[in-house]
Amino acid sequence: MAEAAELPDRESLQGYQLRVVREVLLALLAGEASHGYQLRARLALALGPLAGALNDGQVYVTLNRLEKAGLVTSERVGQADKPDRRVYELTPAGRHQVTEWLDDTSWPKPAPAEFHLKLVAAAAAGLADPVGIVDRQRRALLGGLGQAQRAALAEPSGSVAAILLEGVVLRLQADLRWLEACARHWNAAKEG
Amino acid sequence: MDGNDSVLSARGLRKDYGSGSGLVHAVRDVSLDLSEGEAVAIVGPSGCGKSTLLYLLGGLERPTAGTLQLAGRRLEQMPEAGLARLRRHALGFVFQAFHLVDELTALENVELPALLAGASPRKARERATALLEQVGLEDRLQHLPSALSGGERQRVAIARALANGPEVVLADEPTGNLDSAATTEVLRLFDRLHNDGQTLVVVTHDERIAATADRLITMRDGAFVDETKLTGGRARSLTEITGLDA
Amino acid sequence: MGRLLITWRLAIRDIERRRVQSALLLVMIVTTTTTLTIGLALHKVTDSPFARTRAATRGPDIVAQIIPPPSTQHGATRGFAPLIHAPGVAAVGGPYPIAFARLTTNGINVEAQAEGRDPGPAAIDQPALTAGRWISPGGVVIERGFADALGLHVGDAVHLNGRALRVVGIAVSTAQCFYPVSTPGVIWLTRRDAESLATRTQPIGYVLNLKLADPNSASAFENGNAATAFGNVTTNETETFLSSWQDTEQSDFKVVSVDQKVLLIVSTLLALLAIASIAVVVGSRMAEQTRRVGLLKAVGGTPLLVAAVLLAENLLLALAAAAVGVTLGQLVAPALTNLGNGLLGSPPTPPITASSAATVIVVAILVAACATIVPAIRGARTSTIRALNDPAHPPRRRPWLIALSARLPVPMLLAVRLVARRIRRSLLTAASITIAVTMVVAALTLEHNDQVRRQVSVIGTTTVAGRVTHLVFLLSAILIVLAALNAIFTTWATVIDAQRPTALAKALGATPGQITAGLATSQLAPGLLAACLGIPLGLALYQVAGGHVSEASPPVLWLLAVIPGTLIAVAVLTAIPARIGAGRSAADVLRSE
Repeated sequence: MAEAAELPDRESLQGYQLRVVREVLLALLAGEASHGYQLRARLALALGPLAGALNDGQVYVTLNRLEKAGLVTSERVGQADKPDRRVYELTPAGRHQVTEWLDDTSWPKPAPAEFHLKLVAAAAAGLADPVGIVDRQRRALLGGLGQAQRAALAEPSGSVAAILLEGVVLRLQADLRWLEACARHWNAAKEG
Repeated sequence: MDGNDSVLSARGLRKDYGSGSGLVHAVRDVSLDLSEGEAVAIVGPSGCGKSTLLYLLGGLERPTAGTLQLAGRRLEQMPEAGLARLRRHALGFVFQAFHLVDELTALENVELPALLAGASPRKARERATALLEQVGLEDRLQHLPSALSGGERQRVAIARALANGPEVVLADEPTGNLDSAATTEVLRLFDRLHNDGQTLVVVTHDERIAATADRLITMRDGAFVDETKLTGGRARSLTEITGLDA
Repeated sequence: MGRLLITWRLAIRDIERRRVQSALLLVMIVTTTTTLTIGLALHKVTDSPFARTRAATRGPDIVAQIIPPPSTQHGATRGFAPLIHAPGVAAVGGPYPIAFARLTTNGINVEAQAEGRDPGPAAIDQPALTAGRWISPGGVVIERGFADALGLHVGDAVHLNGRALRVVGIAVSTAQCFYPVSTPGVIWLTRRDAESLATRTQPIGYVLNLKLADPNSASAFENGNAATAFGNVTTNETETFLSSWQDTEQSDFKVVSVDQKVLLIVSTLLALLAIASIAVVVGSRMAEQTRRVGLLKAVGGTPLLVAAVLLAENLLLALAAAAVGVTLGQLVAPALTNLGNGLLGSPPTPPITASSAATVIVVAILVAACATIVPAIRGARTSTIRALNDPAHPPRRRPWLIALSARLPVPMLLAVRLVARRIRRSLLTAASITIAVTMVVAALTLEHNDQVRRQVSVIGTTTVAGRVTHLVFLLSAILIVLAALNAIFTTWATVIDAQRPTALAKALGATPGQITAGLATSQLAPGLLAACLGIPLGLALYQVAGGHVSEASPPVLWLLAVIPGTLIAVAVLTAIPARIGAGRSAADVLRSE
């Protein structure tokens, strides 16, 4: 069985992830003030099977940072012996941030530059057969697609998580199609 | 691979068309063993011969050479009548163009194979009703194909393919004529069939269907060029695949 | 100009694409146009061959003969005086010497009447040659009925009273009835040759031809004063004979009328059934043209362009067929119109006149036009999408038939559902087979009529009856061939239409045997209907065409045999294309369309 695909750089990913969690929490608070655990639950619901990516601490850390940035305020409520005592609320600055985020149309960059360059380098330096690299990657993605698809099917259709998983599936499918095109291209380059 | 417990077993299958300078080798020396409950997806560029291979496996075309064994019977020498009888009980077909009979309702379409196999009308109808319920079309029984969406039509076709409890279901580009939503419907159905233990061979362009198979075979120019086992091996977490974990 | 080119190209391309079908269609239409041509030619034959021959030979209104007793040598022709100077006589031909001589040939020994003539054409009664040339010294011309009876052809040797002579020609004339209506048979030769045949016991007689100012008064003349005076010329056992052309015609007619009736019946049958066949063929073709109309519209064709393409295609086929049909008819018709009796079946010019050729071509054009109008109009009214998606009309759904068929064994299930999905086509098939059965029944009636006639023959000789029998046989054969072609065409079209459902049935587990049986059975229902309708229709048609069913109705057993005969024929004719079609792999049909 082929190896799993290499993960992108952790740090950059972490930055993106943190940003996403930050905006989502702000948006969720725009509706009503909530406890931290409520926010965490709603996030988990929206992510479905992918909720495992979110560790518990992340939500509270983010809320803390948001408060420091002046985008939310918190208030202590409830008994002293309950661990979760704070209720969070949006500030006007936070509300403005939410509006901006909702109007923002930026999208993760589609160019698969890294893999493309990997193939170019392999071919140029004669280190490995690009077609072989493509095939291995294909197999890896196929495995991933299979799992994602099965997970998508397991979700009740129409659920919030289902649509997320469909997004995963379709993007993997798109990637696979590109890989097929790569195979054709590098095959032709070999013969030509 | 031990062929004895295979549901379907092919050795050295060849199919040629035309003659002389127009000779085309549609299928070249293909060997395949299909275990019970296995789902095999066959992919490849257009014209690579995957549809031809499927029709060979189903006895709808005669191979130029090679042997084919299904449910313990040798197919390549069998007379047409014998093949037809075998098709009744051992094979179910799903076509890209659905090929439902336009003037029959969904129910009448699904009961057709049973009637052709000589079942009583009542039994055939009962089974057809049950199958249509199974595929989620219990409120479309009396609809004509023209009143059904693409996905619904293909689901009727799948129900029809299951009418006589076939050993193997052969599907030729089942989602070729469907949009994304309908493809998901059909995909869901195939997945369920697979989980219920139905042996499947699906020729497809769609990566989603291919990815949910047990085995993925790539064909080019009439021959198998790659074979990948998709199940077994390390199961990665979903979050790992989608890269959401931090 | 560009549009014309496109129209032309589309039409040609379409014909090329469906080569087999176009060829089959062409054969069908050719057969029917040929039959139509022959029918028209024969119809001409049946009107007044006597009058035609009389006009062609400048036949006499009155013929008078004097046969002097052995002793008389000269002056016999003086007996013609009352006739020659009679009032109302416009012209005189002759007198010509006639000798009664013994003709020997081919082992036959028979009496003949040898008439001496001039080498140049006579003003009255110049026999019309149907073969060879006119008389010369030692060269004789024989009357056609006589020649046929004796089996003589141009170039044969004959002996008259022992004298060797050669047949140089064969001709017809209305001066006397043809052999064997009038005996002895007539031979023309030079005056000298005729006179040399005189014997002591059989002296030379004389014949005189008269043309009257008013030909219709010939009967009156025959009974008038001049004739009486001529009759009184009898002296010393001189014999005189006088006859008008009406007498001759009537005697001839008794024979000819029978032939004429036969020909009239057959020609009418042929023409009617030919037109009906074309209508059925065209009707079945119209159904599939609707889809092509949709295609043309979809690629941007205006209704006019669409109609033009269809018309071009249909015209091309129809005109080609008409041309071939007229040509074939021209080749075949003379063999049929040569009745072999002593009259001209037709003018010496080719039997296919410009008018009959024109008729055939006009019929062809009309058929092409009708074949175009209906699908063009239907196509213009139907939305393009529907025309494209539903070939012809979408199959109709008949729930009770579907429910019924579920209880039947597999071949019958297939048969009922095949019929149910295209009721209109099944009716068309029934119509076509009905026409075929009608033809067969009419042919049977004709054949039976001929048999009866042969037994109760008016003439009692084999020659004339034999030729007519051949005619009947030939024409019945044509009818049956047309019927078979008709049936093959329709069953073929049905098999092609049933390709998809039968391929599907094959994939779902129906054996080839079941499918063939199903297809054949699906034709049996229209076949049975056709047989039941065709029998009375065939008899009625025979009656309409001029025959008398009561006098020549075939035995009931024959008629009843038509029913199982039709069913068997339909089953076989369907099984053949069905079997051929079953050979084509179902995979081809079912593959992504």
